[in-house]
Amino acid sequence: MANGSDQAGLGIASQDCGIVQFDGWHDARARFEADLAPRLGGHLPKKVGETTYQHSKLVVRIAPRRFWLISDGLLPPIDIDPELGCMLQLGEGRVRLGLSGWKIKHVLERCVVVDWDSLQEGEGVLVGFHHVPVLLLRTGSFQCDLFVPRSFARSLVDWISDVSSGVR
Amino acid sequence: MKRLNKLGRIDRSQPVAFTFDGKAMTGFRGDSLASAMLANGVKIAGRSFKYHRPRGIYSAGPEEPNALVTLGTGGRREPNLPATTVELADGLVAESQNRWPSLKFDLQSINSWFSPFLAAGFYYKTFMGPTRRSWMFYEHFIRKAAGLGRAGEQPDPDRYEVRHLFADVAVVGAGPAGLAAALAAAEAGANVVLVEQDFMAGGYLLSETQDGEAGAWLAGMLVRLAGMANVSLMTRTSAFGTYDGNVLGLLERHGSRSADPKQGEARQTLGLLRAKSIVYCTGSIERPLTFANNDRPGVMLASAARIYLNRYGVLVGKRVLVAADNDSAYSAAFDLAAAGAQVTIADSRTQPAPQLLEQARRAGVAVRTKSTIAKAIGGQSVRAVLLVEPSGRVTLESDLVAVSGGWSPTVHLTSHLGSKPVYRQDIRAFVPGKVGAGQFVAGAVTGSFILGTVIDEGHRAGNEAFMFCDATRSSRARVQRDPPKTDAGPGVVGDENPGLREESPLSPPPEDARLSMQVSDGVGGKMTLAKGKAFVDLQMDVTVSDIALAHQEGYRSVEHLKRYTTLGMGTDQGKTSNFYALSAMAGLRGMAIPDVGTTTFRPPFTPVAVGALAGLSHGQHYKPFRRTPIHDWHVSNDAEMLETGLWMRPWFYHASGHDVNEAYVAEMRNAREAAGLMDISTLGKIAVQGPDAAEFLDRVYVNGFAKLPVGRARYGVMLRDDGIVFDDGTTTRVGDQHFFMTTSTARAADVMSRLEFLLDTAWPDLRVSVSSVSDEWAAMSVAGPKSRDILAAAFPDLDVSNDALPHMGLLEGRYRDKPLRIIRLSFSGERAYEIYTGASVGKEAWCRLMEAGTPFGLKPYGLEALGALRVEKGHVAGPEIDGRTTLDDLGLRRMAGKRSGFVGEVLGRREAFSDPERPRLVGLRCVEDGKRLRGGAILFRPSEPVQGHGLGRITSTTYSPTLDAWVGLGLLASSAAQEGAELIAHYPLKGEAVRARVVSPTFLDPKGEWFHG
Amino acid sequence: MLQIKCPCCGPRDHDEFLYAGDASVSRPAHNDADFERWYRYVFVRENPAGAHREYWQHVMGCRQWLIVERNTVNHTILSVNFSREALA
Repeated sequence: MANGSDQAGLGIASQDCGIVQFDGWHDARARFEADLAPRLGGHLPKKVGETTYQHSKLVVRIAPRRFWLISDGLLPPIDIDPELGCMLQLGEGRVRLGLSGWKIKHVLERCVVVDWDSLQEGEGVLVGFHHVPVLLLRTGSFQCDLFVPRSFARSLVDWISDVSSGVR
Repeated sequence: MKRLNKLGRIDRSQPVAFTFDGKAMTGFRGDSLASAMLANGVKIAGRSFKYHRPRGIYSAGPEEPNALVTLGTGGRREPNLPATTVELADGLVAESQNRWPSLKFDLQSINSWFSPFLAAGFYYKTFMGPTRRSWMFYEHFIRKAAGLGRAGEQPDPDRYEVRHLFADVAVVGAGPAGLAAALAAAEAGANVVLVEQDFMAGGYLLSETQDGEAGAWLAGMLVRLAGMANVSLMTRTSAFGTYDGNVLGLLERHGSRSADPKQGEARQTLGLLRAKSIVYCTGSIERPLTFANNDRPGVMLASAARIYLNRYGVLVGKRVLVAADNDSAYSAAFDLAAAGAQVTIADSRTQPAPQLLEQARRAGVAVRTKSTIAKAIGGQSVRAVLLVEPSGRVTLESDLVAVSGGWSPTVHLTSHLGSKPVYRQDIRAFVPGKVGAGQFVAGAVTGSFILGTVIDEGHRAGNEAFMFCDATRSSRARVQRDPPKTDAGPGVVGDENPGLREESPLSPPPEDARLSMQVSDGVGGKMTLAKGKAFVDLQMDVTVSDIALAHQEGYRSVEHLKRYTTLGMGTDQGKTSNFYALSAMAGLRGMAIPDVGTTTFRPPFTPVAVGALAGLSHGQHYKPFRRTPIHDWHVSNDAEMLETGLWMRPWFYHASGHDVNEAYVAEMRNAREAAGLMDISTLGKIAVQGPDAAEFLDRVYVNGFAKLPVGRARYGVMLRDDGIVFDDGTTTRVGDQHFFMTTSTARAADVMSRLEFLLDTAWPDLRVSVSSVSDEWAAMSVAGPKSRDILAAAFPDLDVSNDALPHMGLLEGRYRDKPLRIIRLSFSGERAYEIYTGASVGKEAWCRLMEAGTPFGLKPYGLEALGALRVEKGHVAGPEIDGRTTLDDLGLRRMAGKRSGFVGEVLGRREAFSDPERPRLVGLRCVEDGKRLRGGAILFRPSEPVQGHGLGRITSTTYSPTLDAWVGLGLLASSAAQEGAELIAHYPLKGEAVRARVVSPTFLDPKGEWFHG
Repeated sequence: MLQIKCPCCGPRDHDEFLYAGDASVSRPAHNDADFERWYRYVFVRENPAGAHREYWQHVMGCRQWLIVERNTVNHTILSVNFSREALA
């Protein structure tokens, strides 16, 4: 998809994104993470919503034992020992909306229940947006990414544009 | 009444033009509509609800019972706004309400003559017995006469929004307590949101003169707070409710500078403020006195007279009678006298404090003690008062009666979560009870009326609120916020105030003795001393005698009193009347006030427009839409799109026929004769992985999956725990430890949650991962005799022969370098293939199929045809799996075979489910020419009377072009379900009765030859 | 608006969650054939006025199932745990 609505003050860019999901079994958690960490280039995020960056790929802990590796480009195959966990390609189901502009706080507080002022750069939060589960990732003072399910993407972009048009 | 040249926080250099009842008037920036009306000499502001008595402006705040106006026209028309809270703006058009033809001469004031018949509860007593039928005649007129303002009938063109806010400390009310609390909390390091419903901050301090010490303190505080980046002062913002979790409901009003909001700007914004702690500094509301004709224009609250003078520069009367039973009214008297009015105080107490009397003497104010006001004299406005004193009755000339019966703390928000207010005898008022964790109260709302105390309390509460948050906050740095606002906000008119010293003393000014509440000795709540209506609830026209009537008729609890008399049920919710009412009832019942109690406080404290509650969630934004990857193709190929749940799906294609009925038959026929292409991307899809995935599926499905070979698909049915059929779908084994499950579109989310529930709570030891992949895959079904040819033409590199891809087989590959799965299975009964591709290339794949298939006669088909095809084939779907049917009902018991240990098994075998009269799945065929079957029709034997629930119902129907007949699926009691039996299908909504015959549900191809081989 | 403190996502509005009722009832083993035990599990509830242990799923967040102890009279939430940990 090309650039969405480009209101002055808030730009919305949408693109496909590749995601690989890793799940660890509850009784093998420590071993699973010890095995996965070096394969993903280093440390794994400790808390849900926390992210780590490895070689321009983003790793985010989505749930207590679930990780997403997010990348714009091709992702290498990474096999997981079935005794420790499993891997699933999720490259098609989500769209990455990049929002940026000075209106961002005004817009976001009309979209999601997130305290933007408390959200650190590089921090992610799973939250509902118009009753749709999304991942919000703060990428700068006036920038964030929203990972939204593909089928909802256009509807959510319409909402964001409508909200954004209300700011003077 | 007149506007003075001095006094007031209005800007006399900025006149504002407005109209009231068509008359052009002028006010100033900083005026409320009410103050501008008073300055223009408006004595009568409205007519009362029942009796249509003339009424004047009574207060200076949201407690206003009388001066309700309608603003705006067309879709912006807004009735029942208190003129006292409307900020005057250029071009404002205001109309009074409830009068015809005019305020001055209102025909309906004739109702006053019928007042004996219009007492409390009259509508429960009229139109009974012999007059019962005349209700239908009179109802028309009564309905027209009812209500106050008239609602608009056109769509509201304005924009409303909902926003989410966060704070460490929320402070409600920017009066002295709130300002002190906000500053204390902010200086301690909290993020503070301070909300104030007025367009100016200051609260009680705005009734003092601007030049005094209180005014200086206020100005200094506002400057100080404006300079703090961690403080957000929101004026024109009402906190209308406290909700669980210390969430405050806020209503921000915009569009204030001019009458209408600017293009694109929201007119009102609903704010949900999630605060870690809340400090309530909501102040208190003055109470009236009750006496005959106490509703005449020219009678108002004493504090209001003072506010109009000091805040708005309007002297509301020349010969003022201040009637009071406490000290606070003396401040009003002194200020009015200093502005040039002739003032007399009628104090009902025996001995007011000597220093007060001395102050009065010095101010030239006459004080009459043991003097109780008995009546206001005058028709359309007050011209005299009758006082009752020990020496006898006295009549005094007066054009303004300023009354004060004490103060009621505004406890409402502290009570919304159920905390009951507590009565304090010393101030004869209710104060907040035990408030919740993280909630604090300060100032007049707690019954403190001395300014120094109020500020101290605010300061302390602000610190306590901060400490409460600090204990629970996480120690993370807040991201750099925007630079601090330099605008001090609209709270201070005349920002360049030469009177303000550089270092304003921010310690509180000395104790203001004038604010102390020396409570009177037991007056109030007594019966009236003169003839004439004595009003308790001005807005609902409820009088003292109505309360006595309610008591006499047995409606004695405060909740009954309220509903029987309607006291407290108007737009002001009894803010100036509730206390008198319950103390009067306490007196009548011989009980103490705390034993009588208060009615329940519920949000909203002041009215909230429904538009604000909806925000942007209306019209196309009412709910989010889901679109499949192929959506745009449907739209540009003239599909009639249908909302099914959240999805937009093609209902039929216009190329197929003029309307849906023509189209679906054509699409069906084409699918049976050549091939059809259907977008099934909406199916729920779940990836089930792990060493125990097979075991897991064995437990959730009634039929077995553990032994399903890799590369094969199987139709499965799931039950609920209670044995009712939950959902069906097809699950394909993609790998040894990897299954691809599909569910119905409607139940995808429910099934997902259910699987997660079982794994997290029932079987936590199973090593299984479930993930929703509904949006990962675009899915389309090619169905029909030519389907294989078309598939081969579209994917020439794949071997789709019967051997390579048998019925219920899986083929995996790549399309445009994205994953591709082809599963051969049939929902329609034709040979069919479900093609799954990565969603990003779904539309491309669809186009590929259309291109390859058109030479073979491939045409797309929509939902209507899809439903018709599966009914023709006898497949159960949503209308049969409706949450009430079992495996046996649907003829699916054989799927369970001899298995056990699956969800729903045990309760699925209960006695009631094997009752022979329980409806079971049958096929039905209409045997009357020219007639049709309808879903929902009730089935009866031809000989039986048509009443009750009959023997069963039709669940799904369709016209079958192949059979040239209407067929349907239904649920029918076994005793009536012999093949060949004739039934009547009744559809009472259309008065139809159609003959139908019981047949096998598999109407076509009973051996399933079409989709094999 | 109830605030439920998800153990890994922090305090959230209750409309981020799916409610699934009484968590104090014990589910029979999947292959338990006893009708009475299944009947009690599916249909019989104490419905207390006071502390209630109940299931909520954080569907807008981590999708974990939680056991919340909530006072049904005044909505005070007394505790929130992952169901895996609470049942262990």
